[in-house]
Amino acid sequence: MPDQFLGLENARVSFGKGDAQVRALRGVSIGFERGALSLVMGPSGSGKTTLLSLLGCLLSPDEGTVFVDGIATEKLSESERTVLRCKKISFVFQAFRLLHSLTAIDNVALGLEIRENKRSGRMATARELLIRLGLEHKLDHGPNDLSPGEKQRVAIARALAGDPPILLADEPTASLDAEAGRNICRILREQVDQNGRTVVVVSHDPRWREFADRTITLRDGQIEQEEQVKGA
Amino acid sequence: MKLAWQNILHDRARFLATLLGVSFAAFLMVFQGSLLVGFLQAASRLVDASDFDIWITARGVEAFEFGAPMESRVREMAAGVPGVVETGRACVAFSVYRKPNGKQQVVAVVGGDSNLGGRFPVPDLTQKADDRSPDSVLYDASDRDAIEVAALPTAVEINGHRANIEHEIRGFGGFLGVPVLFTSYRNAVRYIGFRPEDGMYVLLRVDKGYSVHEVQENLRRRLPEVDVLTREEFAHKSRMYWVIKTGAGSAILTAGVLGFLIGLVVVSQTIYANTMENIEEYATLKALGASQAFVVRIVLMQSLICGAAGSILGLLAVIPAVNYARSLIPWIHTSSWLPAMMIVLSLIMCSLASLASVRSALTVDPGRVFRA
Repeated sequence: MPDQFLGLENARVSFGKGDAQVRALRGVSIGFERGALSLVMGPSGSGKTTLLSLLGCLLSPDEGTVFVDGIATEKLSESERTVLRCKKISFVFQAFRLLHSLTAIDNVALGLEIRENKRSGRMATARELLIRLGLEHKLDHGPNDLSPGEKQRVAIARALAGDPPILLADEPTASLDAEAGRNICRILREQVDQNGRTVVVVSHDPRWREFADRTITLRDGQIEQEEQVKGA
Repeated sequence: MKLAWQNILHDRARFLATLLGVSFAAFLMVFQGSLLVGFLQAASRLVDASDFDIWITARGVEAFEFGAPMESRVREMAAGVPGVVETGRACVAFSVYRKPNGKQQVVAVVGGDSNLGGRFPVPDLTQKADDRSPDSVLYDASDRDAIEVAALPTAVEINGHRANIEHEIRGFGGFLGVPVLFTSYRNAVRYIGFRPEDGMYVLLRVDKGYSVHEVQENLRRRLPEVDVLTREEFAHKSRMYWVIKTGAGSAILTAGVLGFLIGLVVVSQTIYANTMENIEEYATLKALGASQAFVVRIVLMQSLICGAAGSILGLLAVIPAVNYARSLIPWIHTSSWLPAMMIVLSLIMCSLASLASVRSALTVDPGRVFRA
């Protein structure tokens, strides 16, 4: 593995037992370079989400190793993995997963509250992030008052709060129309180009190909294909 | 902790129901607590009001209200025990009181020597004996309607003896359901029909150079046929009799505990429903890196907000209720520490109520965030 900043080594994950057992990943080894946008594609059930869960320290492999910033995470306790996630990793979800009782700015501020203890400047930073993503008029809107594209931008702002170096995105454009989806692709690409973040996107959406540095295709829990495709 | 507030305020109807539940629990706890505290105080008020160190009672007397006669030699023998510097007498008995309008009423007559202590309601009478007639009788303001005295002084009859109701006092309302009249020991024994030399309660003051307990032991050896108790012991015995043996205190306490349990169930149910409704959000928080402590803080904060707000509402409601109840139950008493204790109890109750919710929030799998 050339760069062990983020990656898996011979990772195996299965769910269920006996005849019902599903082998989600079958000895996958892959590294993700710093400052690159990697696209993970593949049909449903190919193991994409399992791979993302491993990289995000939300799941431990049955066998093999997961590296985050050079640290082998399977040796860490649950609380140590939480701390690692808190400092290094953030997520963007298909279903946005904004907290419904909070406004846009409060959702972003919550991301800061989780990742940074300091209270001062939290709201100013949250405001700045939202303004940067073109949401200056939606700061005090609740999730129900936002369009899907706006929700995803708030979710990205929340993910960027605290400046984590790794961004893991699960089907971030699946719920969006063409224009909003393209906007999200651009925003995540900017995170790589301007901030040097490592972005891993799991998606069926072929639009991502033109924004990705590399595409990995999974099938039946194994890597079927890897290609450098940067066109952005 | 804005999230805790917002989670609660987001469902206002549920929050309102929780507030009502907690405030009802707080109301019950304070009201029943006031009844219990007042009852405990009233049960030993006259014993506590004396400043003598030792009480001698007939064997087996459970409470001040149920005194029984003792031989006169008890007082004489007690006075001779080393360390005893002063003796006093008190008595109580039910009598028939004839109101100024001629109607009859059962009353409790309490008599005491003038030296029993500044807080005992009788000495005040005899210390100013020059200003009053020898038949002078006092009553508590809470019994004013029951004894039907329109003006002071008023001539009445107690057990066929002439008496003068001369003064109204406060803070000595009884809980026996009949008015209590206070007078000198000399008058009381006359009304009751005791011989003046007999005693019902003999009170002893112990010299400061002596140990009260040593004098008590000495008295017990010399007077094995009676009970010799320190003031605190007799007060405690009286309280335990009324509160425990009659079952009255248990009934009051049970209602208070029920209030606590009702609050516990209401808050528990609400916070649990709220947590389960937002369980996906807790998974999101955990996926974003929220620590266990952070998650616990949010759930606990929601419970504590409900507890604090409900307690304040309950307190606001119970103050006028207790004030009104005082006109019917003169001995009800809300001690200053009771509201503070109730708030602490409510917060404990809400913390306990959040345990199941905390457990659910902590055990939710953050990996579920990828399920659409």
